[in-house]
Amino acid sequence: MPKILVIVPFALDAEGIGRRRNQLRAVKLDPDSDFHFRPVKAGPTSFMSAHDWTMMDLAIFEAGASAEEEGFDAVCIDTMSDSGMAALRSVLDIPVVSPGRASMLFALTLGSKFSVLAQWQPALARYKKAIPEYRLERHCASVRSFDMPPNFDQLLDGKQEAVFPRMLEVCMKCIEEDGADVICLGSTTMHQAAEWLAERLPVPLINPGPLTYKLVESMLALGLTHSRVGYPKPLTPKLPMVHAMLEAAARQEAESRGR
Amino acid sequence: MARILVIVPFPMSDAELAQRASQAKSARLDPALELEFRSVRAAPANYASEHDSMLAEISILDAGKQAEAEGFDAVCIDTMSDSGLAALRSVLDIPVIGPGRAAMLFALTLGERFSILMMWDRWRHLYQKTIAELNLDWRCASIRSIGVAPNNRTLLAGKEGDVFPRLLATATQCIEEDGAEVILLGSTTMHQAHAYLAEHLPVPVINPGPLSYRLAETALALRLRHSRRAFPTPLVPKPRQIEAMLTAAASLEARR
Repeated sequence: MPKILVIVPFALDAEGIGRRRNQLRAVKLDPDSDFHFRPVKAGPTSFMSAHDWTMMDLAIFEAGASAEEEGFDAVCIDTMSDSGMAALRSVLDIPVVSPGRASMLFALTLGSKFSVLAQWQPALARYKKAIPEYRLERHCASVRSFDMPPNFDQLLDGKQEAVFPRMLEVCMKCIEEDGADVICLGSTTMHQAAEWLAERLPVPLINPGPLTYKLVESMLALGLTHSRVGYPKPLTPKLPMVHAMLEAAARQEAESRGR
Repeated sequence: MARILVIVPFPMSDAELAQRASQAKSARLDPALELEFRSVRAAPANYASEHDSMLAEISILDAGKQAEAEGFDAVCIDTMSDSGLAALRSVLDIPVIGPGRAAMLFALTLGERFSILMMWDRWRHLYQKTIAELNLDWRCASIRSIGVAPNNRTLLAGKEGDVFPRLLATATQCIEEDGAEVILLGSTTMHQAHAYLAEHLPVPVINPGPLSYRLAETALALRLRHSRRAFPTPLVPKPRQIEAMLTAAASLEARR
């Protein structure tokens, strides 16, 4: 029975984790797979600047760095930003899968150009950085936002009627004006809209979280993991230091809330 | 009088810090410019993996996050990896210069193709990241190493006789076999070899640390700084949380 750790990039309570966990329902999975959702201890509040990405990398790394010792067989990271993925791969031998690059590459197995649907304008900076880094500019038709501030805990709850049609309209622009063959949802926080959009769009829609669950199952089934040449191990790992840092961050967060 | 904070990416003794600071002597700088070298409070042991890069980012962000409030006019990051560059730019309105990106772009003002000369292969990923971000692949003739593990505290002191000729031989291969028109030193820790290489090589050799000081001076003189469109500010900055994390890290390092 493979145990898979899914790292949720915000310090959510049980209810918030439940909303993330609901992504499992969107995809048929091996009944033997056992998915455990775990939030980070602390981290950035927003997610739109390099300050936030720096903190997020560390928080996600900390949440997963001991996954192998804890008996997990693989790790999924529940954010399109791929935060913490490279660092986790450098210390873990088990597969570590994150949806950002993976969903773009998967989109290209279904069509020759993809567009990314972003939540709002401030989210665009991240894709503008990531897509050239992944060398995928020539395959990216566009990145468009539907201009709605994200809520990383509540997700799209209660906003379906207002937001889904707007998302659809922007996707149609990506297809008709920009030439997208495939749409990638720009965030795992949009998963509640995936089914509704997929029914109405003339092209495939990638729902990034569920894709990672399938990918990780495939890697386990094929006996594949990341390249050690691509992700060399640290000569001097400092895991106790990273744990101490996140414990300090969580304490600081609790104190600042209590104040 | 302009004050520039130079962030050194490893915790160091005063003597080691002075050795880092000595690279400033190799470039003529505005006498009204004051460079202040400051070590990070905790750091990865080296820059050989993604685990290390992640720790480098947060430790450099911590060291420079208050630079503007402390009265500095600009920040230079003393590592070719440009670790912490984007994060510091997101929280500071003063110029922040990282020598990696700057050295590659500057090299292209002097020739069409550059090579990067490094101590060992474990640094390769640092340059590949910047080259990918800037889309400079075909401008980079090669990245070659002499296969000698670096010491980020003592630098090249005592190793000149062995290391300098090897650097020269490898740089010559970059020029003759790979087509490099400009050579970049792959690390600010190699600055002691710069004068020797510049004297013996037929192409320009970029010494990244001093270049970054000149670029900081230039940015101030032209009143230019990074674009806020490219480096948006965080909606909720968390300087205290970063402070707390590095304090925890530093106390653990001290106990070792």
